[in-house]
Order: sequence, then structure tokens, then C-alpha cells
Amino acid sequence: MTATATDPLATVRQAIEHCHAQGWTDGLPVVPATEADVAEFLATVDRDPDEVIGTQAHLDRRVTVAQAAVNAVMAGCLPEYFPLVLAAWAAVTGEPAAQGGAWQSTSGPSPMLVVNGPIRQRLGVNYAGGVFGPGFRANATVPRALGLLVRNGFGIRPQQLEQATQGVPGRWQLCIGENEELSPWEPFSVGGGVPAGTDAVSAMLIRDCEYVDNRHTEDPEALLRDLADTLARTGAYLGMKHSTGGLVLGPEHAQQLAAAGFGRADVQQWLFDAAVRTQADLRAVGKESHDAEPGPDPMPMMPSPAEIPIIVAGAANAAISMVFRPFGWSTWSGRSVPVPPTAQEASA
Amino acid sequence: MTATVHPTHPEETAVQDTAVFDRIIDPTVGPPGDARSRTALAPRPGDLSGLRLGLLVNTKRNAAEFVEEVTSVLSSQHGMTPVMTRTKPSIVHPAPDEMVAELREACDVVVVGVGDCGSCSASAIADGLQLEKAGVPTVVVVSDAFRVSADAMAELQGTTGYQYVTTPHPVANLSREGLRDRAAAATPEIVALLTGPAPR
Repeated sequence: MTATATDPLATVRQAIEHCHAQGWTDGLPVVPATEADVAEFLATVDRDPDEVIGTQAHLDRRVTVAQAAVNAVMAGCLPEYFPLVLAAWAAVTGEPAAQGGAWQSTSGPSPMLVVNGPIRQRLGVNYAGGVFGPGFRANATVPRALGLLVRNGFGIRPQQLEQATQGVPGRWQLCIGENEELSPWEPFSVGGGVPAGTDAVSAMLIRDCEYVDNRHTEDPEALLRDLADTLARTGAYLGMKHSTGGLVLGPEHAQQLAAAGFGRADVQQWLFDAAVRTQADLRAVGKESHDAEPGPDPMPMMPSPAEIPIIVAGAANAAISMVFRPFGWSTWSGRSVPVPPTAQEASA
Repeated sequence: MTATVHPTHPEETAVQDTAVFDRIIDPTVGPPGDARSRTALAPRPGDLSGLRLGLLVNTKRNAAEFVEEVTSVLSSQHGMTPVMTRTKPSIVHPAPDEMVAELREACDVVVVGVGDCGSCSASAIADGLQLEKAGVPTVVVVSDAFRVSADAMAELQGTTGYQYVTTPHPVANLSREGLRDRAAAATPEIVALLTGPAPR
């Protein structure tokens, strides 16, 4: 049987094209959202659909729970992801780095979501091999829903109000579970104020990810020195205050450090002390400090030990980790957001 | 094999498709915003001589220096008196009401600059419009890389086509001499927008 104009499947593609033509998509196809779809998503949460959950006062734009549901449908989420979408939105918009002009910035930062708790298994949030994606629906669609909400709800579109010079690869696609099962330390969200075992999401805005491949040494300090070298690179320093950095440690690196007696705070302190640049280094790249006080020599590139977020994720199949670079001066608020169960789960 | 033909009229198909698509929810429709009506610009003085000049700057690199150079030309060649410089606490948000009130009190005209980033260019336009609304003839300087963002903000504020002055991007890396040249080049247009008939 050949497709004809009356073939219902032809309408599917036309509907997707219709959404593209309206300017509602991020370039990939979206699921056209109907009232029934949105009602199904809203039924998973005990929230007023008209509740305003985000504001860009300077643009005179507000977004509601109902709009979040529409964009979550469009992003390809399942209804049961919706509580996580709302919690992730709260986490992102609660970050100091997301206040003001982050979505319009030339820096083009991307949220990175970190999911903790049993919700990872329930929704299939990947926290093991290939954690940065692609291939896992929740990881791919939850951050995309937030990006569509910024685009469609706030009206901040690339090359218009959004002025990213280049942006960051994976913008609105970064959502990782923490590999709590292989992490030697307490869940990341415990540091964010949510008890272990409770579903939680944390968010940071980041400007890049850079791998550190070190399967070469048993010496924990050699590994830390290698990580510190990437943390301290001058390109990420803006000639003011300090640079920023965080780690998504692969389970092997985390376990290697833990076996040598390093707690998370010890790793943070070691890296803070080692991630420094001399004033001569900074001058050599034209980045002498523009602050009133140029800072010590050598100059710590990290804001403080506690402001080097450390997450454990990925597979235990190679000693590989990722350095990421928070946007702004505040790195991470230190607040994780609990994810409530769906209304259906709560009443079960 | 003979296909069963269901004759269709193309126009019927089109009508049906449109009706289906109308049921797709528009994700851009949110709660109604404050309706922004077009900002009427303040009446222009015919001549700048003897007028009090105010400056509203952001904290972007070289913004204050650029505006200082403009000031120097406006005072030496146009007889203006610089009386007040205010620095915005946020590059993203429009200047707070108190700051606008101060400028309105002390100044006859204001120069705002320099919109040289994704959010501050849009924010500078919002500042220009709020000063005009307060009755102060104002000119906003934006680097030309951010025209789209500036225009988008003017449109959001209900004042599509709002005129401002552009200077070539980048501004942040210029030396003082470079800034002086830029300021000199931009000044005729600044003067024209401050003195001319209120544009649209």
C-alpha cells in the first residue's frame, strides 16, 4: 500500500513539519502536543496549571506549569517524567548563575542536571556507560523540555535575544544520573541538602566539558595533578576574580582516590591548592587581573574548595573523568531539589 | 492488483489538515504580560549648548571609558556640562527606578552605553525607553554585533523601530586612543538623535 494524502501517517509528518514552521522546535522534531496529552502530564503532579514557575522580568515574560507540560510533551518526555521536569526547572532557575541574562549571554551556557535517588531506576535515567548520552530517553528529553520552555515560553531564540557566540556542545541535552552504586562517597544531592535515598535533581550552568584520561598511575596525587592541570587552564579564566571547575569522576578514579583515603572534601582541598597559575602565566596570555586587588602569586583558579562540585558517573571500564566548567562566579548554589513521586505513585 | 481509488479533493484535504493542526497547542502562549504600549519619546532640545549631560553606564569592559570620551566631545564641541554618571548595578536588568529618578532630576539629556553583550545590549534599550518615558531625551549606544538583540528588546517593549547609535564591535579590547576615535565617530549621530525631532 502506498502512502497517500489521506494516509494518517502522512499527517504525522505534516504535523511535525507544522511545528517546525511555527518556530517551536530546537531543530529536531517535536511531538505535537494536544490538550489530552497535556492533561495527562498535568495529572502526574499536584500543581495549579496556571502557577507561574519562571519569570524574565526584563523581557516581560512568565511561564506556567501548563506551559512546562506542553513543552515536556513536545520534547518527547513520558508523563511520569513530568515531576522531574518541574523539579529540574526549579533547580535550574534557582541557580544564581541562571538569574538575569544567562540565556541571552554570549557565553551560551548549558544546564547540566544531576539526578540522584531511586528515580534513576524508575525512569531509566542513565548513570553508567555513556552517561553523557545519547541513547536514554529520560536523559535526552528532560533537559530538552527545559530548553524548549526557554525558547517558547520566554521567547529567547538563537541569534535573536539569545546571543551565544558559539554556545556549548550538548546545550539543553546534559542530564546525568549519579552512579551511587559505584561511588565511594555519599550522593551528590546529600551535599545539596536532600537525604540519601530521596529522589533529587541538582543543576549547574556549564560552559564546557573536557576529558581527563588517566589510566596510567596508581599514585592518587599524580591523578589529582592531572585533573588540576585541566581545572587551571588559562582559557577559562576571564581576567577577574577566579575561574571555575567541577568534576564528573568516572567510578574508577573515584574509587582509586577513596582507596587512598581521600574523601570528597579532601579531593576538593587538594585540587583547590593545586589548581593555581602564576601571575606571569596570566600576563603571558594577556589576562592580568582586572580586579582592584590582582590576587596572590600563584593565583588560585578555583573559587574555594567547597565550590568544586564532584559527581561520580559513568562505567567502571576505564579510568576516565570529565572536567566541567560552571558559568559565572557562583559555580553551584549547593541546593538540590527533591523530586516528588507522581500523583499516581503517591496514591498507590 | 487494482487499487481502490478514493477520490479526494485537494482543497478538502487541506482544510482537514489545517483543522487538525489548529488543535496542536501553541507552546509560546503564556500568561498575559503587562501590555506595553509604544513609548513616546521626550521632546528634543534644538541645541545642546549649556545643557546638563547625564551618563548611564554598565560594568562591561570599556563601557565607562567610551562614554567618557563621548562626554569629552560633547562638552568641548557642543558646550554641554557633564553633571552625573551612574553605573548600573546589573548589566542584565534595566536601571532601578531610583537611578532613573536621579538622572531625571539632575540632567537635561542622558547617554546610555555601551550595549556590548547578549543581555546588556537589550537592557540598554530598555533603559533608553524608561528615560524617554520619564521625559529625558536619551541616546543609547550599542555595539553593532548586538543590533538584533537591541531591536528584539525594542519590539518587546512595544517600540519597534526605536533608534539608537551603533559603534563597531568589539569595544572591550580597544585602547584609550581607539575609544577616542570611536567616540568621535559616533558623536554626530548621538547629537542628531538628541537634538533632532523625536524619532517616531
